[in-house]
Amino acid sequence: MLLLSPAEKTKWVVTENSNLSVNGTTNINKFSCEIPTYDQTDTLTMVKVDKGVVLTGNIGLKIESFDCHNSIMTHDLRKTLKEKQFPRLYIRFLSLSKFPELTAEPQPITGWVNIELAGTSKRFEINYQVSIDAQKIIHLLGAQDINFSDFNLIPPRKLGGMIKTNDRLSVAFHLKMKAI
Amino acid sequence: MKKVLISGLIAGCILFVLSYGGLFLAIRFFPKWFTEYNNPLFNSDGSRDMLFYLHAFIISFALSWFWDRFKGLFKGQFLIRGLEFGFVYSVVALLPVMWISFSSLDVSIVMVLSWFGYGLMQAIIAGLVFAKVNP
Repeated sequence: MLLLSPAEKTKWVVTENSNLSVNGTTNINKFSCEIPTYDQTDTLTMVKVDKGVVLTGNIGLKIESFDCHNSIMTHDLRKTLKEKQFPRLYIRFLSLSKFPELTAEPQPITGWVNIELAGTSKRFEINYQVSIDAQKIIHLLGAQDINFSDFNLIPPRKLGGMIKTNDRLSVAFHLKMKAI
Repeated sequence: MKKVLISGLIAGCILFVLSYGGLFLAIRFFPKWFTEYNNPLFNSDGSRDMLFYLHAFIISFALSWFWDRFKGLFKGQFLIRGLEFGFVYSVVALLPVMWISFSSLDVSIVMVLSWFGYGLMQAIIAGLVFAKVNP
């Protein structure tokens, strides 16, 4: 087990194999969309403070990278998320409840993030699972249910509202990082 | 003119119930047929819902006027007159519109055929109403 020293300022670099998925439903089907790879190398910094851990850094994901495995659904999601006006969604990391213990066995941890989507930002508490593998890759898995309406987005409705997308979306991300 | 408006209103009410009721039931019981509508081509923000639901009355008043002008050409019993009227409308107006829709929009042939069938049924029902109300 690698236990991080509380006095230590720790930096993790997000690697391009990281991904994010979004699952939602309509009254006629389900959809699953993902951003399969991350196109930037961003850094997260952790500093222990009196009450928990300050986590700084953010990731910006291209809306055009969303793939719903169906070109029609992909275009519809991008349009709903106002890709032309707001080409990226941002996850800004704010804090962790404690310093993560990096073990092969995933450890539960919570933390606050700001999710910025379509120009609107909202704060969420995320339940993470954090672990490290034999190649020293740190895995941070987070999941959170969000609503289109949280971001002033209107869930798509077709044919006079007879086909409706439900407001709730399940977002999950898997960050693969290296300590530097 | 009064007959045109009254028969248009009656046909509009009947089409409103049958068209949207049928659509509602089709979406409920055959949802897979409608997944193609999750397409940015179709308005998705609800801003045109009122226009969508007015369609039954728009087509009814337009067909009612058309019927009043040309009803003398449709001969026979009311059932035959209604059917012929529906087919004439479909060939003259629907077919060319469906043709240009399929050739220019990114929609499937099944979707276009379903629109054609939907319009044909609406015109036949309207024709039957007009043959009874405004013979």
